[in-house]
Amino acid sequence: MNDTFWLLTWIIFLPTAGAAGVALIKKESVETMRAFALAITFATFLLSIYLTWGVFDPTDPGIQPRAPELVSKAAGGFSSQEIAKQYGQRGVSTTWIPGWNIEYRLGYDGISVPLVLLTGLISFLGMVASWSIQKEVKGYLILYLLLETGMMGVFLALDFFLFYVFWEVMLLPMYFLIGIWGGPRREYAAIKFFLYTLFGSILMLIALLMLYFGSTGSGDVLPTFNILKLSAIGQGLIPNLAYSPAVQLTAFILLFIGFAIKVPVWPFHTWLPDAHVEAPTPISMILAGVLLKMGGYGILRIAFPICPAGAQAACLVLVALGVISIIYGAFAALAQTDFKRMVAYSSVSHMGYVLLGIAVWKLTDTGAADGSRFWLQGINGAMFQMIGHGISSAGMFFMVGVIYDRVHHRDLNKFGGLIGLMPLYGGIAIGLFFAGLGLPGLCGFIGEVFVVLSSWNYSPVLAIVAASGVILTAGYILWAVQRVYLGPEYKGPHPEAITPLTEREAFVGLTLLVFAVILGVFPNLLFSKMEKSTEQFVSTMDAGYQASIKPATTTAAITNTK
Amino acid sequence: MDPQTLQTTGLTLKWLLTIAWLLPLLGFVVELIGGGWVWGRYSKNAAYLSVMCIVTGFVCSFIALMTWGNATEWSALKDHGATHGTSHAEPSRHASGVDAHGAPKPAAEAAHGHDDHAKPVAKDAAHPAHDDHAKPAAAVHVAADHAHGTPHHAAPKVVFTGIFYRLAQFGSLDISLSYYIDSLTLVMFTMVTFIASCIHIFAIGYMSEELTDNYADHQVHTSHGHLHRPGRFHRFFSFLSLFCFSMLGLVLAGNIFQVFIFWELVGVCSYFLIGFYTERKSASNAANKAFIMNRVGDFGFLIGLMIVWTWFGNFQFGDLPAHGQTQPGLFSMVRGNDGQMKLHVPESGQAEVVFKNQDNHIQTKPNGEQRTIPYWLLVAAGLGVFGGCIGKSAQFPLQTWLPDAMEGPTPVSALVHSATMVAAGVYLVGRFYPMFTPEVLLVIAYIGAITLFLAATIAVVATDIKKVLAYSTISQLGYMMLGLGLGGWAAGLFHLITHAFFKSLMFLASGSVIYGCHHVQEMPQMGGLRRKMPLTAYTMLVGVIAIAGLAIPYVTLPGGEPIAFSGYHSKDAIVATALTYMNLNGHHLLFFLPLAGAGITAFYMFRLWFYTFAGEPRDKEVYERAHESPWVMVGPLVVLSFFAAFCAFGGEKGLLFKLLLDSEPASVPGGYVAQTEYLSQGLLNLKLPSHEAIHAKHDRAGTLALIMAFVGAGCAYLVYGVRWVNAAEIKQQFSGIHRFLVNKWGFDEFYDMLFVKPTHVVAGWCSAIDRVIFDGFLHASAKAAVKVSDWDRQFDETIVDGAVNTVGNWTFAIGRSLSVVQTGRMRNYVMFIAVGLLGIFALLIMFFPN
Repeated sequence: MNDTFWLLTWIIFLPTAGAAGVALIKKESVETMRAFALAITFATFLLSIYLTWGVFDPTDPGIQPRAPELVSKAAGGFSSQEIAKQYGQRGVSTTWIPGWNIEYRLGYDGISVPLVLLTGLISFLGMVASWSIQKEVKGYLILYLLLETGMMGVFLALDFFLFYVFWEVMLLPMYFLIGIWGGPRREYAAIKFFLYTLFGSILMLIALLMLYFGSTGSGDVLPTFNILKLSAIGQGLIPNLAYSPAVQLTAFILLFIGFAIKVPVWPFHTWLPDAHVEAPTPISMILAGVLLKMGGYGILRIAFPICPAGAQAACLVLVALGVISIIYGAFAALAQTDFKRMVAYSSVSHMGYVLLGIAVWKLTDTGAADGSRFWLQGINGAMFQMIGHGISSAGMFFMVGVIYDRVHHRDLNKFGGLIGLMPLYGGIAIGLFFAGLGLPGLCGFIGEVFVVLSSWNYSPVLAIVAASGVILTAGYILWAVQRVYLGPEYKGPHPEAITPLTEREAFVGLTLLVFAVILGVFPNLLFSKMEKSTEQFVSTMDAGYQASIKPATTTAAITNTK
Repeated sequence: MDPQTLQTTGLTLKWLLTIAWLLPLLGFVVELIGGGWVWGRYSKNAAYLSVMCIVTGFVCSFIALMTWGNATEWSALKDHGATHGTSHAEPSRHASGVDAHGAPKPAAEAAHGHDDHAKPVAKDAAHPAHDDHAKPAAAVHVAADHAHGTPHHAAPKVVFTGIFYRLAQFGSLDISLSYYIDSLTLVMFTMVTFIASCIHIFAIGYMSEELTDNYADHQVHTSHGHLHRPGRFHRFFSFLSLFCFSMLGLVLAGNIFQVFIFWELVGVCSYFLIGFYTERKSASNAANKAFIMNRVGDFGFLIGLMIVWTWFGNFQFGDLPAHGQTQPGLFSMVRGNDGQMKLHVPESGQAEVVFKNQDNHIQTKPNGEQRTIPYWLLVAAGLGVFGGCIGKSAQFPLQTWLPDAMEGPTPVSALVHSATMVAAGVYLVGRFYPMFTPEVLLVIAYIGAITLFLAATIAVVATDIKKVLAYSTISQLGYMMLGLGLGGWAAGLFHLITHAFFKSLMFLASGSVIYGCHHVQEMPQMGGLRRKMPLTAYTMLVGVIAIAGLAIPYVTLPGGEPIAFSGYHSKDAIVATALTYMNLNGHHLLFFLPLAGAGITAFYMFRLWFYTFAGEPRDKEVYERAHESPWVMVGPLVVLSFFAAFCAFGGEKGLLFKLLLDSEPASVPGGYVAQTEYLSQGLLNLKLPSHEAIHAKHDRAGTLALIMAFVGAGCAYLVYGVRWVNAAEIKQQFSGIHRFLVNKWGFDEFYDMLFVKPTHVVAGWCSAIDRVIFDGFLHASAKAAVKVSDWDRQFDETIVDGAVNTVGNWTFAIGRSLSVVQTGRMRNYVMFIAVGLLGIFALLIMFFPN
């Protein structure tokens, strides 16, 4: 119960407390409620900033915080294998349900910290954007804050059961946020979203139980939900305890489908266009900006480390799915006439890079690592892409929302000339769309190009196909920009409603654009935060795979990373 | 020059060029903000600021060039003799370059990527004598050192490389923003900033119509008539500044990844500038087309990058200090310090290129094997990177975007689409030259030859003054590519520089014409304009003569070079290379296409000039209203025409050519002959001409090209000057060919049919698959679930409930019927009990007899 424990707990539950606070405010004082909720999200954002720059130690590859006995030893003093075995001493925990050995265990490392920060940022900006919500503001704010709790919890939980709970906690508010505050087909979209995710959750639950009951040997110890310990078992670091390759593969497939739905990976993606299109603007921002990342994070935090053998067996499929998502999403985006739907499909395409980067794990025929540094690059690229996409897609959805709030339609063929009518809006929007396009100097480029560069080592053919996405991406984004922002005059209904950007809107748009530029120009700001953790990830995975295919020699670690 | 001087020179150059590079970026930001919110529509502040930035940039670049020259004691300009590359080194300079290496760099600082050391690398040209000097690769020094006193040494090439800051690091993979400064960089910087300065100043006049609150765009029709919009003067200049920043970044880039970054940035600036008139559909279409076709090329570029990255693990051009030792750059890895690739054929399989260090030692893996890349992959990487150049430099088959790009304001066409950005492809081929195998160079040569011919033929029939110049640009870029592809490294880049001057001049002159004629661009509406705008006409004529490559026959300068304007010299160098190449290898088209192109070039350029400026006016109204442009526009024309005429003064013995020659890769001067033992491995039997060989053919090639140019110019004079032959009649006689050419060889339709439409069809399919198949499946399952639950309900209601009800009913009925026996009379009950008991006992006795 140290300071960090409370810091993490506050990051997760401050929004919940805020929700309770909102509930106490009188229904009539809408502005007070909004301001209060905004203050809560801002405070959470500040806490996540404090976590990133004040608490988090980027030189330590493992999960933090460390137990006191580890602190004395220099952070770099452990090998990656040693770190992976410190599952009891890393993170903070307290008992939750002792009978099942369920813990309230939290922790962070270079993989989760950027995502926590992103969640804080997007939640805050989404709240600023929420002024456009007029209906049932109280309920909206309460659900919104609960949603933030769920998201933060997912990124900070280190107990699988806790993770699962937060995963579901996030689901319900989202269902109502889409179903009540959404567009015309909101109920359809909400149910589709809910069922899809629930389907994934159930698969995850099966895997969860499989891994849980497999996590005990002779029966004298309780099984565990501790993700770090489960990973150690999966990577063959605990003597006489291992998941067989078959178990790993089964569990991996179940987990992967669960997470892939969230990413979303083709062919599990069709909930996304509907959910994004029907959700109100701030919720679309959260969906695209944060929720999709939970899938990628789950793959990195759970599916891969616990099931290295399963992951390795599935890598080719994953890479192929990633590439298909990239190309298919881009093609589908090209065909849309609904502005928001086009942006939604662009998310499918961009998140394909995430999967591709995570999965370019190449081994030689003998199982030794082959070009681990390229996999490391792929994972870093994927992480960067998640953050970059969080910023650019949230920005793009916000930009769509801004114009939708004015003219109440989204037909790409009925816009035009907006840059003349709203120059500032047009400028910011084009900036953010180019960030999505992957223009150098903006955040989208770095993730995309590093992933693509890393993929040749895995499969030249798939790498070439993935690289061809740059043409299609340029195609659909430029075509949309042309139809919406360029041209002589606005062609749709309500031309009188087109007014310049409000200060609030300009703030959201400019903030996102500034982040897009900073990340695009100084990507090492982000890479330097996560490089140790991703290196740790790669080296333990390579060794873990070695160990798990040779159950007899449980700790035979062959590190061939550089 | 002592090491101290070398180091300070490096630092000075770095900072001068960095200032020149970053000033326009600063200008962009200030102009965007100032123009949008502070200065107002009538202010020219944006223009003044951007001119100030770029002129300061030019001053910095020029000082840098001077600094570099002084530091190297202008050794580049000293006569190396007719056979470049075999003269002796100045011992002092060589030794100093060595000592500079000897100064160990603090490893930590280098590793952190913010070194303030400029690292001079002395490349030892064309001398392979170092292999004996066994020196551990881990040493800090470059091993070119041991040969101090050895005679037969070429002057070492001084390159300054270093890192600005790191973008990312993955294990041993390291990506940074860095710089690479040699004479090519300096010449490009000076050229770009100088021409950009002229064009910026010109644009103050040309864009002055935008200084208004109510700009009427007559090309755009809205539902309320012509479009009226606020002027966008500042926006134009801010984009121009952003472009200059991107372009200079591209030239300064010290690694191929950084080139790619700025490659895309110049692309997007070009997109913004082509689409400057955002309201015009044609402009936004052209902008999209330019960007997307460039992306097609960049797709190839990306493939090249992937190969390079995966196999070399490095993007740096030059050698850099890293982790306490010198990390060889790509050029050293492929060619060591003598410019030669080391091939190797493993027992099983294809030829490989062995990686070398900067000291020519072989690189090995930890397990002792040689580090290599399969030869064919190096070819693929080269082709991929060249793919990017095809897009950027509008080469066949991606040439169609450039003519459309003329939708942008004319200063943009002059700066972006003739002098600088489109030449970036050529620049990159020149920069990346050591990585190209002779096979790649052959492809480059063919692409260049096809492009130059194709574009020249189209230029003959174009009637829009800017379109003629656009096709001419494509054609000239083809010449440059051809020159580089044939092994004439300096020739190709020489043409790049001269072309930048005369083509930007001609574009600006055409801009002046368009401005003077109130936005008439069609030449059939012009004629006789030289009387109205003499300065424009005669400066343009300088450009025309330069590009046509005319010279005064039989009169030479003391050095033996003919008296001619810049274009003659550079084109001559290319044609001479082509002739030599043909004599060595066959491939006759590579000589005859450029030769024919020389004639066609002269024809269409003089056609343009006669059409526009000579004869009688064709459209009285246009003529009457035409006027000479103000000095702010004509001034730059005069300045540029001076350089268009004389920048290549002295030809291959002149200043410019020698400056370029100093950066020539070590492999070039001596030529190349394919080693026969590798021909079975798929290598082509190619020879590249050496400097001596080209020199020997020079006069003949020059004469042939000159004859062609005179023939072309003469024909143009006959048809359009004195109108001795009626152009319309020719047109009718060859109407088929004419239509074909006007139709631009049908590329647009062809691409539309082959790529654009299918893409939309596939896109439609993907969307439909989502709707019909995935969602269809989903909805079907949902319906099935509903159906199942419906059955479930039916089952519950009819069968389960039915059963329950039936049971209930039965019970009830039985109860009812049993109620008959429930008489309430005691004796009946006693009797039932007795009978019951008897029955039980009877049963017990029956089943349990004992």
